[in-house]
Amino acid sequence: MNSVGEACTELKREYDQCFNRWFAEKFLKGESGGDPCGQLFKRYQHCVQKAIKEKDIPIEGLEFMGGSKGKSEDSS
Amino acid sequence: HPWEMVTTAAMQKYPNPMNPSVVGVDVLDRHVDASGKLHSHRLLSTEWGIPSIVKSLIGTCRTKTYVQEHSVVDPVKKTMELKSSNISFTNLVSVDERLVYKPHPHEPDKTILTQEAIISVKGVSLSSYLEGLMANTISSNANKGREALEWVINRLNAEIEEFTASARGTMRNSMAAAAFVEK
Repeated sequence: MNSVGEACTELKREYDQCFNRWFAEKFLKGESGGDPCGQLFKRYQHCVQKAIKEKDIPIEGLEFMGGSKGKSEDSS
Repeated sequence: HPWEMVTTAAMQKYPNPMNPSVVGVDVLDRHVDASGKLHSHRLLSTEWGIPSIVKSLIGTCRTKTYVQEHSVVDPVKKTMELKSSNISFTNLVSVDERLVYKPHPHEPDKTILTQEAIISVKGVSLSSYLEGLMANTISSNANKGREALEWVINRLNAEIEEFTASARGTMRNSMAAAAFVEK
């Protein structure tokens, strides 16, 4: 499955593998202490945020967009 | 299927053959809150198979529609709630969906899904025929959603079987090697 940003697909795959394993083997069994995927997630996130800004996708209410809850006014 | 299996499959729902229009999935945010529930915000990109000549006229970035999905998984109460709404550049019609997965109260190997959709249209009055059409599409999509998860669950089970078979093979080999050494 690809990412919205073509360059992010490999980072996404690495993160997904890590997350899916942690989710099924730890989180669902009640051991949610310590998410081992933090670093992978940060790198993947950085790439996705850039892709979303570049493609001007109007996403509402996300923290990394500066905490604005209203609709974006500057879309073309 | 048990709730844990359905929830795991729901997190890995795409790609699957029942939803060929979903071309991209990204996690925008994910965190475990103070009460131990996992929140995920995801962005789904969908492409509706518009002919390439139309694409070249209007530009590819306008042929994708996006769906924003927020899910909450509570591993203690065993509930998974998904809320999704579509984002598009036209913003005329929006569909908000809400799905909740819970274990069956009497049969622990089964999961119950409740699903609702709210359709909103801005500034355009839909005739009741169109509304009926959309309602039918949404209910057949609900069936498709169930089939999609069934497909993902079968795939996950096949992967587990493959892994177990190869592990068994490895163990047999090492046991045979150990028996050989003992002689």
